[in-house]
Amino acid sequence: MSELILTLKSAPAQRVDCSPLTVDKLEGKSVKDIAALTLVVGNQKLRVDELFDIDGDDPAVMRFENATDKLDHIGHGMTTGTITVNGNAGAYLGQFMMGGEIIVNGNTGIYTACEMKKGFIKVNGNAGDFVGAARIGYKNGMTGGTVVITGNTGARTGDHMRRGMILIEGNAGDYCGSRMVSGTIAVLGQVGAHLGYAMKRGTLLLQQAPEKGISANFNDCGSHTLAFLPLMFASFRKLDSEFARVEPFSRVQRYAGDLSGIGMGEILVKI
Amino acid sequence: MIINGVTIDETFAEAFPMRGTRVIITAQNLEWAMNSAQAFTGFATSVIACGCEAGIERTLEPHETPDGRPGVACLIFAMGGKGLAKQVETRAGQCVLTSPTSALFSGLAMDQEEKEIPLGKNLRFFGDGYQISKMIDGKRYWRIPVMDGEFLAEETTGIRASVGGGNFLILAESQPQALAACEAAIREMRKLPNVIMPFPGGVVRSGSKVGSKYKALNASTNDAFCPTLKGQTKTELSPEVESVMEIVIDGLTEADINKAMRAGIQAACELGAENGIRRISAGNYGGKLGPFHFHLQEIMA
Repeated sequence: MSELILTLKSAPAQRVDCSPLTVDKLEGKSVKDIAALTLVVGNQKLRVDELFDIDGDDPAVMRFENATDKLDHIGHGMTTGTITVNGNAGAYLGQFMMGGEIIVNGNTGIYTACEMKKGFIKVNGNAGDFVGAARIGYKNGMTGGTVVITGNTGARTGDHMRRGMILIEGNAGDYCGSRMVSGTIAVLGQVGAHLGYAMKRGTLLLQQAPEKGISANFNDCGSHTLAFLPLMFASFRKLDSEFARVEPFSRVQRYAGDLSGIGMGEILVKI
Repeated sequence: MIINGVTIDETFAEAFPMRGTRVIITAQNLEWAMNSAQAFTGFATSVIACGCEAGIERTLEPHETPDGRPGVACLIFAMGGKGLAKQVETRAGQCVLTSPTSALFSGLAMDQEEKEIPLGKNLRFFGDGYQISKMIDGKRYWRIPVMDGEFLAEETTGIRASVGGGNFLILAESQPQALAACEAAIREMRKLPNVIMPFPGGVVRSGSKVGSKYKALNASTNDAFCPTLKGQTKTELSPEVESVMEIVIDGLTEADINKAMRAGIQAACELGAENGIRRISAGNYGGKLGPFHFHLQEIMA
């Protein structure tokens, strides 16, 4: 068995639903079977081998080559295995993911790690809006797992997020942690406006004081040394990320909010 | 069997299955971790009246603890998982939650066959709604706001089927000599992992037998080993023995107790007959009550 490599033949004009291409759905299938699977592309169906050159046969270790931002739903609901994406990925990368690992060497579209439950996603690039969020109309975003973004994220990072960790090495966009229910978002760079908008619970951990300030809906709780931070930094150490190398800190300014709601969330800013 | 003039009796210690766990208490410095640990393991010499047996296993360097602060590892044992859970919870609530700068962690990973017991799981309600849960590396921790800052406690700790009541008796020509031998034994035994000697200073002078002439009591003094009763009862003691002390050991496994008994008996025997140590014996109930038998001569072979 060798790594299953799917090399995109040419950039598709329409969006491609890649959700059938996970180890869970390909296990036990021969290369011929995989080639004959159909993917929804725009308003038509195309065979996998019409879109991709297929090499190797082990779906537990999968790789997309020449990927573009039209490839949606990569790693949809996967429970195990690893997927590497060389190039950009589209929307809903790792949606409903329940285990395994996705590494993207490129940028991802909107709703990366949408409603993810478990596992690990690393984007060596930027991610679009709604990282780890809930689908529109749904109440629970990400409920577990870890997402590392080495670049920047778009708006509404962690919208409705419920558990798990989003680690952003670059900057986060506007409304970071909006409507967050729980979990942790850590940002090494800057954050946009309206940080923690309508946040219920959870932690926004910032290494830098936000340039756009902290909204009036968050109240200053003073400076503190928090015992859980060393544990959290220790857990980062095994990640392949800037977070593994960042100087651990436990001294923070704590802001509680969003006080327009239940106000149990917190923004922790390194001091 | 005679070691350095000390007779090792052909008998065995009888021990019982217990449930045990290890917790790690950390604090700003070792002194305050120890203050909390001593309270946590206080009044826990015997399950008969304390509900559990607990002791300090050892101190921990900052690099050995989950939060990188100095800490103390405590072992606590009870007759069953439920009893253990209750003891751990009440003790953690009154002795660790209350202790300045403390944090509380599990010192035993979950065992597949055993349920976990709560650590911070119910203490969190002290936070009155302001408590915060954090999942770190698959483990849940509770951050409970308290007056000195935040009390951090791991949600649960693993438990193990363990062994309680391993013991041996040191028979000596005088009280000071018996105590000196016990002190030497405890010094060596405390170097070993996974065991505690739950009595004050590790030593118990009031070994008991099952039953009593009084109906209300189910245990009473072990008259056969009481030196003042040598002429009054069916004694186990020879004329020159004037004092007997016992060391009780609880451990996570049978092998751990074996090792601790060996180390302790060895240390007592090193003082030898010239320091008044005459015999090493052990407490048992005829082998009918406890499934674990620690034969002294086999341990020392």
